[in-house]
Amino acid sequence: MSAAQGRPVRRRFSADTTIDDLKAYMEPFAGSLGYKFNTEEWFVDEVLASEIGILDATGDVYCPCRMRTGNPKEDVAIVCPCIPFHNVQFAAMRKCWCGLFILNDVEDGADLLGVIEEPEKGAEVEVPVCRVEDMPAGSVRHVKVGKRDIALARVGDEFYALSNVCLHAFGPLSGGVLDGHTVVCPWHGWRYDVRTGTTDHPGADVKTYPVVVRDGLVLVVTTV
Amino acid sequence: MTVMLYALSTCPYCRLTKKYLDENDVEYDVIDVDLLEGDERTAVLADVKNLSGGTSFPVLVVGEEVIVGFNKAAMKEHLGL
Ligand code: SF4
Ligand code: FES
Repeated sequence: MSAAQGRPVRRRFSADTTIDDLKAYMEPFAGSLGYKFNTEEWFVDEVLASEIGILDATGDVYCPCRMRTGNPKEDVAIVCPCIPFHNVQFAAMRKCWCGLFILNDVEDGADLLGVIEEPEKGAEVEVPVCRVEDMPAGSVRHVKVGKRDIALARVGDEFYALSNVCLHAFGPLSGGVLDGHTVVCPWHGWRYDVRTGTTDHPGADVKTYPVVVRDGLVLVVTTV
Repeated sequence: MTVMLYALSTCPYCRLTKKYLDENDVEYDVIDVDLLEGDERTAVLADVKNLSGGTSFPVLVVGEEVIVGFNKAAMKEHLGL
């Protein structure tokens, strides 16, 4: 489409990109989110071969199992690996839509192959957001869990998740600094207890979410 | 019973589904939605959304039943294989 404006179509990855190149590029990223390639290797190769076809046709590795709308703003949500955009759904299904990726702790990906069932609304789900080793003690960072913006804080070896949005003037709490169990909002210094989401200011407490640490991963508990 | 398959030409599950239907001598109609253009594509995509509630493929319609994905168990059941 963009060629119509006289500019060359921009393309990610070089013209001779192979399945192995895509694997090498995707594996560490998916791994940092708690996913691995499906254990059915023939299927992984099948999906990635499709993606290379799509790359040649469109310039990027869009999901072979989903329909592009043609609107780049919408279609960014289906550039592979699309895990961060759909992390609640995928954690509930234990795989991505296509089944290219499965959660680390799924032993046999064949069991999950093929079926696409949207998870039940309201079901509780543990959503992997990062690896323990990616967050030093005393740090706080922004994670997206479904549509929710969450500040993830590490105090010693404990992790806490609370709404990222300060209720003073909506500053991002993940941009603040930690003082013990208190996160200090970067905008005007309001202080929130990361364990409870409470602040001294009346009526301005924020929501907190349970966090589980398992197999080196940090998981935020939420509902579909 | 009419069997209708909405598919994408790029999609591995769609290929597996076509293969499975062919191997079992099921008669079906198929539309590769990504190969349609313009209004037709928009209209068919809207149908798919109505049927399946999403934009995942394939969507196999067997009479009144809608099967999303390459779901052998569901196909067996509803196609009486
Ligand atoms: S559903 Fe799976 S294969 Fe499709 S874009 Fe997302 S991660 Fe990639
Ligand atoms: S927005 Fe957080 S202190 Fe003002």
